[in-house]
Amino acid sequence: MVGPSIPLVGRAPDAALFRTPDGAVTGQAFLDAAHELADRLPEGGFVLNLCRQRSRFCVAFAAALLRRQVNLLTSDRSPERLAALAGEYPGLYSVSDDPEAGGLPRHHAMEAPWPARRRGSPNPDLPAGQQAAIVFTSGSTGRPAAHAKRWGALTDRSIAAGAQFGLAGHTVVGTVPPRHMYGFETTVLLPLHADAASWCGPAFYPADIRAALAASPGPHALVTTPLQLRAYLDGMAPPHVAMVVSATAPLDPALAAEVERRWNTEVREIYGATEVGSIASRRTIEGDTWTPYPGIALSAEADLVTVAAPYADPHPLSDSIELEDGRFRLLGRHADLVKVGGRRVSLSWLNSVLTRIDGVQDGAFLAPDDLASRPGARLHAFVVAPGRPVAGILGALRREVDPLFLPRKLIQVDRLPRNDLGKLPRSALAQLLPERSAGAP
Amino acid sequence: MHLPSNAALRTAAPAGQDPAERELAQLLVTSLQLEVEPGDIAPDERLFGEGLGLDSIDALELSLAISRAYGLELKSDDENNHQIFASLRSLSRHIQSHRAR
Repeated sequence: MVGPSIPLVGRAPDAALFRTPDGAVTGQAFLDAAHELADRLPEGGFVLNLCRQRSRFCVAFAAALLRRQVNLLTSDRSPERLAALAGEYPGLYSVSDDPEAGGLPRHHAMEAPWPARRRGSPNPDLPAGQQAAIVFTSGSTGRPAAHAKRWGALTDRSIAAGAQFGLAGHTVVGTVPPRHMYGFETTVLLPLHADAASWCGPAFYPADIRAALAASPGPHALVTTPLQLRAYLDGMAPPHVAMVVSATAPLDPALAAEVERRWNTEVREIYGATEVGSIASRRTIEGDTWTPYPGIALSAEADLVTVAAPYADPHPLSDSIELEDGRFRLLGRHADLVKVGGRRVSLSWLNSVLTRIDGVQDGAFLAPDDLASRPGARLHAFVVAPGRPVAGILGALRREVDPLFLPRKLIQVDRLPRNDLGKLPRSALAQLLPERSAGAP
Repeated sequence: MHLPSNAALRTAAPAGQDPAERELAQLLVTSLQLEVEPGDIAPDERLFGEGLGLDSIDALELSLAISRAYGLELKSDDENNHQIFASLRSLSRHIQSHRAR
């Protein structure tokens, strides 16, 4: 039986998919480059895509698809992790656009893909069920877990995102790396099937972003993270962008409002997870209700919410939500919903209360390992609040939070051990505890 | 966190910083809230990865602090970015030869 199939590029041959400092990469130029690279890739079932630049990352991704090879995406590029992947995926080889970057012993060094020597390459239909990529959850909990993505699921989500955000005609300027699911979806895959182009020059420092906006046609959508957005708001003259998109961590509504006001733009937030990809969005200042992408269906049974999406296996959500007329409110992440003295509280809510306190730059609550088992157990919290005495912070917390949920230990630190996307692995946080209080006595 | 309580680094003072490096070390410590005395940052110590252990979020914060203090904007496509950010000394030299104020 032949299932549905979806073309590699869902755009016109002359549509701009990527914009680089040297000009646009059209749909046809992309196809030519992908076919050319596909002919050169080694045999194998899996390829570790280590490309840095977005359009080249996408060419390598597409070339592998043409060869029916599966792309592996990893943000952990330590030699140990690469060796572990090579062990798990026999025949795995790496592809990179950076001659100086390392790779696996089996490695293909990619040449500059443009201009391709060939012209008029075909735009093949690929089976929607073809396994296209494997991504790994960076894991707040130990070993990385693999999540397979089918071609149909990826393309369907790009089309849905384009419609959800009204991206037609936009240039997306992404400050997030292509190897994370968020950056992969929004800056690598999106332009293959949504009517938008992705900027491929540097986009990290304020000067990069200004250069990107000047070198590519608007309207622009800046795709970024809450931490970076705060830095940009503080550190750069208001850029002219039609839209800001944020994900990877909850965005403080006050920050969103300030960005909207000072940049005269709209701030939208994506809800998703590596396991299921982006599945919903909201305009942060409009409140706490999320609208699922077209084609996403959520169903709730007891405490468990399942996400169903075209060409994807149903997947349980790690957050609990409240469904309402097809839209939903987040109640908290399962790992974040903890019980103290029999009462349930969301750690992310507590964190938001803590970080809103005057003088608190960053902060996080931690549930000790024995919270459920020891009746007297309480939460701990860490704050980055130079010059602000602990007693004052506790006093401010006390005004908003039930005494039951006040931290037993409130520990001043110079910074929290956030990873490069601003996430805070629980294990890293737990290491900040003085030894005696780390777990059960 | 996990910034150098590194004994080697602490005892390396005086680190032989020149005045510009001393000033930049102060900026590093205040803007990134490092747990180290400015005078203890060895001029040739690596800033990212090992050494001071800075990360990509620090890079953005640091670039903003440098822009405010020296009027110099860093860019990703500075060919030798890697070398510029290699150490206190290399960063200081880059700033001194390109600063606007």
